[in-house]
Amino acid sequence: MNVDPQELAGLLEQSQDLQADAINGSKEPLSHLIEAHRAQEDVLDDGDEMANRHFADQHRRTIERKLATTGLLGVAGGGLLVTLLASPAFASEPADVQILQTAASIETLAVSTYATALTLPYIGGSEANPVVKKFAQVTKSQHAQHKAAFNSAIIFLHGKKQNNPDPAFVPVVKKAVAGLAGASAAQGTLGVVGLALELENIAAETYVNDMGQLKNTNAKKITASIMGVEAQHASVLLAVQALLQGGAPQLITLSATNVASLPAAAGSVGFPNAFYPTKDAAPMTQGAIK
Amino acid sequence: MRFRTRKNQIETTEAEISRMTGDLEDLHHDVGMPAMHETLAVWAEDLRGATSRATDRRTFLLGAGALAVGGAALVAVNRTPGVAGAATNSSSSSSASSANPPNTRGGITGLSGDLAVAALAASLENLAVYAYGAGIGAATAGKLGTVPPAVVTFAETAKSQHTEHAAAWNSILTAAGKHAVTVTDPKLTPTVNQKFAQVTNVTDLADLALLLENVAAQTYQVQASALKGTKAIETAATIQPVEMQHAAILYFVLGEYPGTQTAKGTPLAFNPTSLATS
Repeated sequence: MNVDPQELAGLLEQSQDLQADAINGSKEPLSHLIEAHRAQEDVLDDGDEMANRHFADQHRRTIERKLATTGLLGVAGGGLLVTLLASPAFASEPADVQILQTAASIETLAVSTYATALTLPYIGGSEANPVVKKFAQVTKSQHAQHKAAFNSAIIFLHGKKQNNPDPAFVPVVKKAVAGLAGASAAQGTLGVVGLALELENIAAETYVNDMGQLKNTNAKKITASIMGVEAQHASVLLAVQALLQGGAPQLITLSATNVASLPAAAGSVGFPNAFYPTKDAAPMTQGAIK
Repeated sequence: MRFRTRKNQIETTEAEISRMTGDLEDLHHDVGMPAMHETLAVWAEDLRGATSRATDRRTFLLGAGALAVGGAALVAVNRTPGVAGAATNSSSSSSASSANPPNTRGGITGLSGDLAVAALAASLENLAVYAYGAGIGAATAGKLGTVPPAVVTFAETAKSQHTEHAAAWNSILTAAGKHAVTVTDPKLTPTVNQKFAQVTNVTDLADLALLLENVAAQTYQVQASALKGTKAIETAATIQPVEMQHAAILYFVLGEYPGTQTAKGTPLAFNPTSLATS
């Protein structure tokens, strides 16, 4: 499993390109999903079990064909999404729609925050640590995919897509971004990492909390496939933050030999809780469309 | 002196990170643990209410006692579980068979519904505790060459957290009048034994640990959507991201992108479930 750093950089580049393609190409299949869902509603209204099953099979094949052209299947766990979104079990759950809209609003905010961060020279420019830069790029792309997944689930639950950021957290982000003005590269990087960490924890804690509230099984499955990814983002940011604060930015690198230089405490700073907390979870309707 | 030496730099880093880790651990024990105890208590209450069998006084006291000492159990259980078959020849079918006893003998069979999931989860956590314990033992014995301090801290902390996870699941089982699971997962134990026998250095050990963490995380991910009881779902949901965090740090230790990924190393936005066990 050892990877040459240059090879890894190449993989990350490739991944970024693939994910960008996936996002860009996802608009058409997602709109197709909506059309298919409307057709599904007509079939389900008939109450014919055989017709429902036939529709689900046809629907799944169509979605697979559409997503295969975008790279979304291979790159973003698309197989899981196809299975979930094509399932007739996506019945209407009004509370679930609100929960998913809040989730989409958090993802929207995360995407815009990482996009802003990447415009800063010490995150996305020549002054940036290469690992931090790649992480920000990949993570921004992943949040965009999460947002698309939540919004697709909302459509299947007869709700309206949420494309606006969570209103409660927008001022927090704005204030933090304003605070970066005039910061040195070191201070600015720490500020961005701190802000991103806060957002990732809010996202992860919200989704962990949502799991006990959601009624629809497929909505749960989508949320479950995302919550741990946000927790991993938080884990990486905790480690990066600790190394920056400890005055060891040179140790933020992806190399199999780097571990020998890491301080002992770096081995556990990324997972401080045996049970993921939920105290900072967003209220379920905070980002819902009123 | 204008620049710090590398040694001083590391010492400063160590002190700073240790302080941060201490703060986070305080938060975990002040906030995280009480919340988990509450969840477990409510779940146990749900299970008692739902059970149709007659509850005699002894069983009730056993359940209440388990809950009353739940806090102690969650933090005090810090021993390698009784690994049925784990330390023996893993390829033997008789060994595998003896490693899969009924719940009345500390196994995972003979249960149904959410309790069966709790037992499976406990056996997975036992397996992780066993594997990390064996790894730490091999490292201490000098069998893995030079072991970086960060790897030691990782293994000890991860083992401790898996012990807490196992205790959480077992407290549910004992509260419902069932037996705590003391065996390691019967399906995976032979594989872990086989792979551990091939571990000769830290990288091999990290690879094995990564496999276990991904299996656990993906199993929880599947079960979090399949469990019926709300508190059971919450328990699985609060553990799954922690296993994924363990995996993220292991990827970092191995010099790979620190997140869920394909076999070729391409980062994934959605955690897969192909490694989930049942």
